[in-house]
Amino acid sequence: MTAVERRAFIKGAGIGALAFTIGGAQVLLTPAEARAQGVPLRTLKPEEAETIEAVGETLVPTAREAGIANFLDQQISIPAEEALLEARILNVKPPYANFYRAAIGAINGASDKRTGKRFAQLDAAAQHDFIDLMRQNKLEGWQGPAGPFVYLILRSDAVDVVYGTMAGYKSLDIPYMAHIEPTRRW
Amino acid sequence: MATHEKVDVVIVGAGASGSTYAAVLAKAGKKVVLLESGPDWQLSDLISSDIWGRRVKPAGAPFLLQGKNPYGYAYQAGWGVGGAALHYFANFPRLMPNDFKVKSEHGRGLDWPISYGDVAPFYDRVADDVGVSGDAKGEEIWRPSGKPYPMPPMKTFKNGDVWLKGFEAVGIRMRKAAVGMNSEPYKGRPACLYDGWCHVGCPIGALANPLVTYLGEARTAGAEVRPRSTVTRVLTNASGDKVTGVEYFDEKKEKQVQEASVVVLAAWAGQNPRLMLNSATDKHPNGLANKSGLLGKYMMAHFASGTFALFDEDIENHMGTIGGQYFSYDRYDKLAHKDKGAFGSTFIVAGAAQKTSDLGGFANARLDLFGPALADFMKRAKRGLTRITAFGEEMPNIENRIEIASEKDEFGMPLGRFTHSFDQAAVALWNANFEEGLKVAKATDAKESWSGRGNMPTIHLFGGTIMGTDAGNSVVDSFGETHEIPNLFVAGPGIFPTEGAPNPTYTIFALSLRGAEHLAATWSTVAG
Repeated sequence: MTAVERRAFIKGAGIGALAFTIGGAQVLLTPAEARAQGVPLRTLKPEEAETIEAVGETLVPTAREAGIANFLDQQISIPAEEALLEARILNVKPPYANFYRAAIGAINGASDKRTGKRFAQLDAAAQHDFIDLMRQNKLEGWQGPAGPFVYLILRSDAVDVVYGTMAGYKSLDIPYMAHIEPTRRW
Repeated sequence: MATHEKVDVVIVGAGASGSTYAAVLAKAGKKVVLLESGPDWQLSDLISSDIWGRRVKPAGAPFLLQGKNPYGYAYQAGWGVGGAALHYFANFPRLMPNDFKVKSEHGRGLDWPISYGDVAPFYDRVADDVGVSGDAKGEEIWRPSGKPYPMPPMKTFKNGDVWLKGFEAVGIRMRKAAVGMNSEPYKGRPACLYDGWCHVGCPIGALANPLVTYLGEARTAGAEVRPRSTVTRVLTNASGDKVTGVEYFDEKKEKQVQEASVVVLAAWAGQNPRLMLNSATDKHPNGLANKSGLLGKYMMAHFASGTFALFDEDIENHMGTIGGQYFSYDRYDKLAHKDKGAFGSTFIVAGAAQKTSDLGGFANARLDLFGPALADFMKRAKRGLTRITAFGEEMPNIENRIEIASEKDEFGMPLGRFTHSFDQAAVALWNANFEEGLKVAKATDAKESWSGRGNMPTIHLFGGTIMGTDAGNSVVDSFGETHEIPNLFVAGPGIFPTEGAPNPTYTIFALSLRGAEHLAATWSTVAG
């Protein structure tokens, strides 16, 4: 990333914007805006994004609309050292796409074994029950990263996009109190 | 491969300890080069966001983790100039006199080769150097007297004050916390605004991170910082009795050699032993300065027992700092919870600004909740939630260690592998602190209270290059000088033989100042 691009990233940070690629050009959008504008996914396959949205929405209401799939897709498509994922601070070994693919595979595999359907095809009550079992590591046929850890990571991602942004604070009526722009460099 | 002109000292790592060494040595007229594996962060990079704050967390080669309580290093370690102290909480508690003679007094753990009295003057000097706010007189109920802190205590807020009733009921005395933050303007740096974004880096310089303290001084005195420079080996002479410099990969990933009269390893308690193990030669077949076989051994971590309380009223929980407003050493006796089968000190902090997300965010105060229940909790907690934290001490255990693995990073350096498990005494202390925390919470006016239980956390990292009296029982002496190679120093929490219970950075600064001044004073002997 060039210095100019990096400054653009930083400028966008205050509103929770990330750099998405549309038609070969980089634009700063929030994940919600990226979803609303139908920004093409770079790494996640449509079925994977559908699973992420369904799991995210089950974990934190409005995570789908907040753009959790676009957020994760953008984050696992950039170099690991630029990633802003909670996975980074929870010792997930990069590349992070590997973890998310394994998690999605485990969720759909266990869902299929349990119900004959992918997670996104379950009704809301069944999705809730499934996540509750995953949280407690009680799903039979689970193959992949530990269920409680997948719960922690995906719940954190959903919390990030719903509550971790300035818009999220506003939705809870919590003063964000962003930092003062430094006027000088030390 | 290029070989750079020899300098007086090369320091590996530009965090708290490396910056302190750099400031002292550069001001003593030495030519200093700091090699830092991460970026050259500026204050303007420190965005007030839990999401963006992850940029300053580790992004280099991962550590492999194993054991019953795998060490969760990434939240608290650093990456880039400033190191972990770029995003630390800046709680500034000291170790206590009883931390230095645990083996002698209790027949377990290890002794330090120095006492509290050897470190105390350096605590006082660091306070003046970097700026500490607190109530030194108030702390004298727990420790020997020293100099007053240069600034009065920080403001407190309802989210801290509401706990005082509970602590009093349980017989725990609280004092306004000592913190590396400005309660008033100090040395040209502004006072804190209490916006609670300390943990993602303070962009106004009110918090004593290395950029605005020792590293700034080092740069002014002429120290050179080379960011994105990953050191892979420490080089030694043919006879193995001196180091001659380091090998590193620069930002273009090209191999370089920096020759130096003295090498200081300040790359964190995890990286230092990894580097020394990877620097083995025929004269040091088990890693540098490892005659004792203790290189990488006795790694330790803190654990924390968090207790939450939810009030009906608005307790201003978005205000304050992220560390603590009050602290206590009233359970610091190693035997304070002996009746529960526990051993080790406990250090308690109360009151912290609440943020929504990230590991410490209040969404994680009830990790069991999700869906509509979580959404409801977020609304209830947004103004009324507060917490206290009791940090516990584990004893050094030789089985807790770092080794090098067969898997390698992009530079061909073996990855480090941590093995870590808490013993029964530590688990008992963790449980005892939950039990007492809940008693405190229930004695407040809170509507609800609960223990923040989950997997037993690992917080801070110590050991791996412990100090001691000789090469038979340790890797370095009390100044950080390796017993076997006089011009090789190690700095940071890796040299602690026991960890105590408080946040470590104040002690890291103090020990680094002591070691650096010793090095400067004995330069001709060490570097000659």
